[in-house]
Amino acid sequence: MFWPDGVKLGMKNILRILRTEKGWSQAELADRLDVSRQSVNAIETGKYDPSLPLAFAIARLFGRSIEEIFDDEAESAEAAE
Amino acid sequence: MAQPRRFRTANRRYRFLFWPMMAVYVAIILGTKFLIDDDKAPDWLNAACAIAATLPLFIVLYAIRRQTDETDEYTRMRYLKALRDAGLITSGLLFLVGFLQIFDVIGDIEVFWFGPVFFFAFGLARLPECFGRTV
Repeated sequence: MFWPDGVKLGMKNILRILRTEKGWSQAELADRLDVSRQSVNAIETGKYDPSLPLAFAIARLFGRSIEEIFDDEAESAEAAE
Repeated sequence: MAQPRRFRTANRRYRFLFWPMMAVYVAIILGTKFLIDDDKAPDWLNAACAIAATLPLFIVLYAIRRQTDETDEYTRMRYLKALRDAGLITSGLLFLVGFLQIFDVIGDIEVFWFGPVFFFAFGLARLPECFGRTV
C-alpha cells in the first residue's frame, strides 16, 4: 500500500506521486507514454480515466499493477459498507 | 481494441500536410488575385481557380481527420468535442443569418465566411487547453 490505512486522500490515482518520485515533469511523462501533456494532467487530476491499453502502459512504465496505481472508488465504497 | 497512443507521430504527420498546404493555398490565392482578372477571365478559368484554391483546404480537412484518428485517446476526445462545438456554433450562426435574411433584416452574406467562422470556433473551443498547468 502507498498510504496508511484509513487516510482518505481524495484522489483516484497516484500517478502524480509516482511521477514526482521519478523526478519527471508532466511533459516528460507524456513523452514517455507518447500522449499529450494535457492527457497526463487530466489523468492525474481525475478528470479523465485512461483506457485499458493506456493504463497498462502506465503500469508497465512504473513497474506496478494497475490496481496499485488506480483506485477503484466503487469497490472501495462497497468494501466500506 | 487497442487504442493508438501516437501523439507525436500524429502531430508530425499533421504538420507535414498542414503547413505545405497552407503555403500552396496562400500562393494560389495571391496568384489568382494578382494574375487573373476574374471579371474578364473565362468561366472555366474562374472555376479552375476556385477548385485549385479549395483543394489544399480539402487536404487540410483530411489532415485534421487523420490526426484525430491517430492521436492519443484524450487528445482525440478534446478535438472531437472542439469540432462538435465548432459545428454547432457555425450551424447556429447559419440559422441566425438565414432567418435574418428571410426577414429582410440583413442583405446577402458570402457563404464563404462560414468556413473561417468554423475554424475560428474550433480554435476558440480548443483555447482552454492552452492554459493547462504544467507540473
